[in-house]
Amino acid sequence: MTTLDTQEPELRVTIPRKRTRSFPRLGKFATHAFMIVGLLVTIFPFAWVALMATHSRTEIYSSPPPFWIGDNLTENYIKLLEVMPFWTVLFNSLWVAVAGTVGAVLFCSMCAYGFFAYDFKGKNVIFGIMIASMMVPPVLGLIPFFLTVQFLGLLDTHLAIWLPGIANAFGIFLIRQYMMQSISRDLLDAAKVDGASEFRIFWSVVLPLIKPALATLAIVMFIGLWNNFLTPLIVLSSPDKYVLTLALRSVQSLANSPWGAIMLGTFLSMLPLLIAFLFFSRQMMAGLTAGAVKG
Amino acid sequence: MARVELVNLSKSFGAVKVLHDLNLTVEEGEFVALVGPSGCGKSTLLRIIAGLEEASSGEIVMDNEIVNELSPRERNIAMVFQSYALYPHMTVEENIGFNLRISGVRKAEVRTLARAAAETLGLTDLLDRKPSQLSGGQRQRVAMGRAIVRNPDAFLFDEPLSNLDAKLRSEMRDEIKRLHQKVKTTSIYVTHDQIEAMTLADRVVILKGGVIQQIGTPSELYRNPANSFVAGFIGSPAMNFVDATLETSGDQVFAALKDGTRLPVSEAYADLGPQVQLGLRPENLHLAEPNAENAIPGTVQLLEPTGAVNHLKISVAGQQLTVVDDTLTDLALDANVHLSIASDQIHIFPKEK
Repeated sequence: MTTLDTQEPELRVTIPRKRTRSFPRLGKFATHAFMIVGLLVTIFPFAWVALMATHSRTEIYSSPPPFWIGDNLTENYIKLLEVMPFWTVLFNSLWVAVAGTVGAVLFCSMCAYGFFAYDFKGKNVIFGIMIASMMVPPVLGLIPFFLTVQFLGLLDTHLAIWLPGIANAFGIFLIRQYMMQSISRDLLDAAKVDGASEFRIFWSVVLPLIKPALATLAIVMFIGLWNNFLTPLIVLSSPDKYVLTLALRSVQSLANSPWGAIMLGTFLSMLPLLIAFLFFSRQMMAGLTAGAVKG
Repeated sequence: MARVELVNLSKSFGAVKVLHDLNLTVEEGEFVALVGPSGCGKSTLLRIIAGLEEASSGEIVMDNEIVNELSPRERNIAMVFQSYALYPHMTVEENIGFNLRISGVRKAEVRTLARAAAETLGLTDLLDRKPSQLSGGQRQRVAMGRAIVRNPDAFLFDEPLSNLDAKLRSEMRDEIKRLHQKVKTTSIYVTHDQIEAMTLADRVVILKGGVIQQIGTPSELYRNPANSFVAGFIGSPAMNFVDATLETSGDQVFAALKDGTRLPVSEAYADLGPQVQLGLRPENLHLAEPNAENAIPGTVQLLEPTGAVNHLKISVAGQQLTVVDDTLTDLALDANVHLSIASDQIHIFPKEK
């Protein structure tokens, strides 16, 4: 019989096990405390905007600032409608963001599919140029952008805000990378043998498989378009075509800016983003973490 | 069902030629296996027949119609992929019915046909599952269901069993054979496993480096291999090759091994030149008495019991031979033994340079 005990029992030395965690509760407490602080810091601006929306201008400027819910909500709402056509402006923002998002998801995915599924001359060069274009700061393109929009006769239209961005390098890159990870060539071949047309393969086989990437792009585009200030500023001139960012900025220049009303408008303008995020977040997380576990 | 004909088919990827002037006819209802080592061009050939890859030259003829320019759909072929290539977001039923649905078949009919196909393959209980919830064998069946549901002119199989374990592989092999006997659709089956090819196919095509080495029934290939490559590729364990010199004395031709053993062989081989290779199948070699006919002396190097038979490695004339011993004789290592083989079972090939 073989045994691993080669030393006399009294000669064996007991090595004490290293204690890996002396105060497990303390570690847990610290983690929680850290997360709570992080949460408070993140949520404070939102809560502050919501609180201020219920106060008058005088209360807002009082010292110390009011940390309670005020009773000026109705007045602020009436004032908001006085200084800007709030609901029209909100609708404008919504239209621009939704149209741009839907367009971007559709066109970026089609373009990405082109780069993913087909082999053509100069494919890598075109893709490289496209990626390189992401490195140019957007501000540098403002004047050419304005001139192009003017040339196309799109000045003072919403089209000028959302149309140019529907095929963008970031979206195409994101979706193509996701396709490369999650769709096998055999799948496309199988669909071809099954008799699917090129568009059918894209629509029925590829699109359902890249939903997480589409959701990621959708939320990024929606937030980008919703928060976009610079493009509306240079292309829009009629107040009835203003989007939220522009309208809220324009009333800040009024004498005695009605800060309560502006805060209410700002708070209301955040709600669609929150809803969009809740709607897409699960899909988006899946999209952002994909590849982390896949081979 | 269709007759598939390949005429002078070649394929190059850039400067690399992977298929060289292939000519092959697959008769209506026939089951043909393309077999060869990896990189021999067999999968490329299948993809060309399917229409997924273009031939560089030559013609693909189906039922007397040149189909080179037709899409996979227009060729009306079905293909089973090595990776199964099931649509991950669709249920089994949707996977099977996808090709019917996109060709405009009514929903109710798609359902009926998909269910009928599923029943043939024993998938009825799994119709609502997604591919990720299926085992390898079940996925393989779904892939076959997708192929049979539309009643194609030809089935193409691209190494469909190579991802399965040994037991499941032999079960699925039987199933494919049964399926073919039932539907009698022209089938072309690509594999690198010669056992799979031999057991399934009516005829086997052996490919090497994009060139057809031999076409024949499994028994033709086994009994009369055209060259040493085919001889070595077909049969398990693989054929033994021994260097020998042909000698003629009177009207009798002998093959002399390096140790001086002389084996009488057919006169038909006399023209192959003095330096040759003998091909001896392990199952044709038997342990024998020293004075037996064609006795070859050797020493036991290794004994591998497999249960039903023992595989012996015997050193003969400086080379190692594999022998299948069905007598299960208990042999000591380094024991001196004698092997014998019938003269008509000795294959002779020109010596490879």
